[in-house]
Amino acid sequence: MTDSTVQHNEDKRDVTFRVHRFNPQVDSKPYHDDYTIKIEKGITVLRALNYIKEHVDPSLTLRAFCQAGICGSCAMRINNMSKLACTTQVWDELDKAREPGVIKVDPLRNLPLIKDLVVEMDPLVGKMEHYSNWIDSKMPEEQWGKKEFLVSEEEFVKYDKATDCILCASCVSECTILRANREYVSPAVLLKSYRMNVDTRDASHDLRLAELVKDHGVWDCTHCYRCQESCVKHIPIMDAIHGIREDAIERRGVKDTSGARHAEAFMDDIARKGKLVEATLPIRTNGVGWTLKNLLPMAVKMVIKRRTPPPPPLVKASKGIEKFREEFREMSGHVAKDHEKKSGE
Amino acid sequence: MKRYAYYQSCINESMTREVDRSIQLWQHDLGIEMVKLHESTCCGGSNLDYVSPKHFALVNARNIAYAEKMGLDLVVSCNTCLMTIRSAKKKLDESPELKDEVNGILKQEGLEYRGTSEVRHLLWVLIEDVGLDAIRQKVKTPLGNMRIAPFYGCHILRPSSVLGKDNPLEPTSLDLLLGALGGSTIHYDHKNRCCGFHTLLVAEEESLNVAAEALKEAMDEHADCIVTPCPLCHTVLDGYQSKALRKNGLRGSIPVYHLSEVVGLALGYSERDLGIRRHIVTA
Repeated sequence: MTDSTVQHNEDKRDVTFRVHRFNPQVDSKPYHDDYTIKIEKGITVLRALNYIKEHVDPSLTLRAFCQAGICGSCAMRINNMSKLACTTQVWDELDKAREPGVIKVDPLRNLPLIKDLVVEMDPLVGKMEHYSNWIDSKMPEEQWGKKEFLVSEEEFVKYDKATDCILCASCVSECTILRANREYVSPAVLLKSYRMNVDTRDASHDLRLAELVKDHGVWDCTHCYRCQESCVKHIPIMDAIHGIREDAIERRGVKDTSGARHAEAFMDDIARKGKLVEATLPIRTNGVGWTLKNLLPMAVKMVIKRRTPPPPPLVKASKGIEKFREEFREMSGHVAKDHEKKSGE
Repeated sequence: MKRYAYYQSCINESMTREVDRSIQLWQHDLGIEMVKLHESTCCGGSNLDYVSPKHFALVNARNIAYAEKMGLDLVVSCNTCLMTIRSAKKKLDESPELKDEVNGILKQEGLEYRGTSEVRHLLWVLIEDVGLDAIRQKVKTPLGNMRIAPFYGCHILRPSSVLGKDNPLEPTSLDLLLGALGGSTIHYDHKNRCCGFHTLLVAEEESLNVAAEALKEAMDEHADCIVTPCPLCHTVLDGYQSKALRKNGLRGSIPVYHLSEVVGLALGYSERDLGIRRHIVTA
């Protein structure tokens, strides 16, 4: 048995919390304070932080409420991963600590910092508003309160998981694109938009979708799956993002965006050759002007290094392509029937 | 000689041809043989799955079915192909209706998707089948003089419900392999982060910011090079490197190697033979 295992099996031990501190009224830049306290096995990070606030340093600022993983207030980065402090065991984090016995605690990323571990949630709320993330009832107002608006089990299943979101913003904090551009819609907002868009009672679907396909919207997601991996409620957020994209492409014909053109190029190329024709992908996505402006200098370098993708006629089709094309077409028939069935419902 | 059905990724047949070229050079040295699956088609590149979920299932059931017909596991050397094909496999294995529908169509080609072949990354095969000890013994020129920043890329780690091999928060597989090749790896935050590839043509500025941040951290940590198991990450980190750094007001450069190339280097092959001179950024 190694020393660290012996330590972890003890019921009580000294643990250091390296906590992010920043008070904009007095500090010129953020720093970390170390608080070492004796911790029993079974204690959560939130309880430890509350103990520090009550007994060691009352100036430590954090946000928490339910202490049961329901309200989402206490999301923070613990050992560099966004999660809820109230459902995170100190003992589990000790196993992940980069420095033995030290747990790092930082505020969420990608949201403005207010103080220590507290971030401003207004930008997220603002985006929820911008993308109309509420149900705009299809039922005429005069019928409100007089008639039930029923949702079938089958209809509810589509967004059941999405309703588990507690808006803790862990996914927002972990989002790759939001880190690169704060204007980006963000995963939590996309999840909520999806949830509203598939709700059969909602009347704002088209309005919402039209906004979602604009710049900084659904097409800017880079498929890194960090949101899904960090979701404290294990919601398949990428399924929701893909759901919006599928909707934009197949059902509503909202295709006039570079994201949709890019995605559809994959479908076209596979149908034709079984292979992606990479040489023309930038042009098909963004047009000739954009391609010349943005990619010409790099294309020159690539030609010199013989790295350019082959021109379309030289892209060799997969072996057995004729048969494959027939199969692909047959599946297109199945999909068309599915759509007919769906629109007939 | 253990054999595998080798999936031909579109990018490795066009821009990053050095990947397949280097694997071919050293595969027999390690007692493995990658049998190219010439019938395979594009996996959909993490796009077809939402453009048309059913075509996505068909295309990848067919890709896997060819490997099954040969009685071999399907091996890929692109992270996104790995994640995409595995995610199709998961959908097919979880839905008998979808499997039946797809098999009804594949029948005309004499194919059937059964779910018997695993879909694996080359990195996993090297660690699990060849073994780190066996690799260590074959090393002729250890990578010891290099301080390496391992860049795993997203789709070999996430979603873990589909990949499930390495710890997405603290991955070790690439570090272990590079260690067996005699290299020393650095710890840095970007090792499990994103390269920005999938939005290069849709949100270029954001993608370049993402790439620049990764490159900067590797350079700040004084890494001599970056090694990645994914040709898409390589394309961004190598091909777009100068553009990404310039747009973010950063200077410097850092060579980026494919996993297959550093295996080749350690086994004694030259940069020229491995195709390393085709990179945009040269050491």
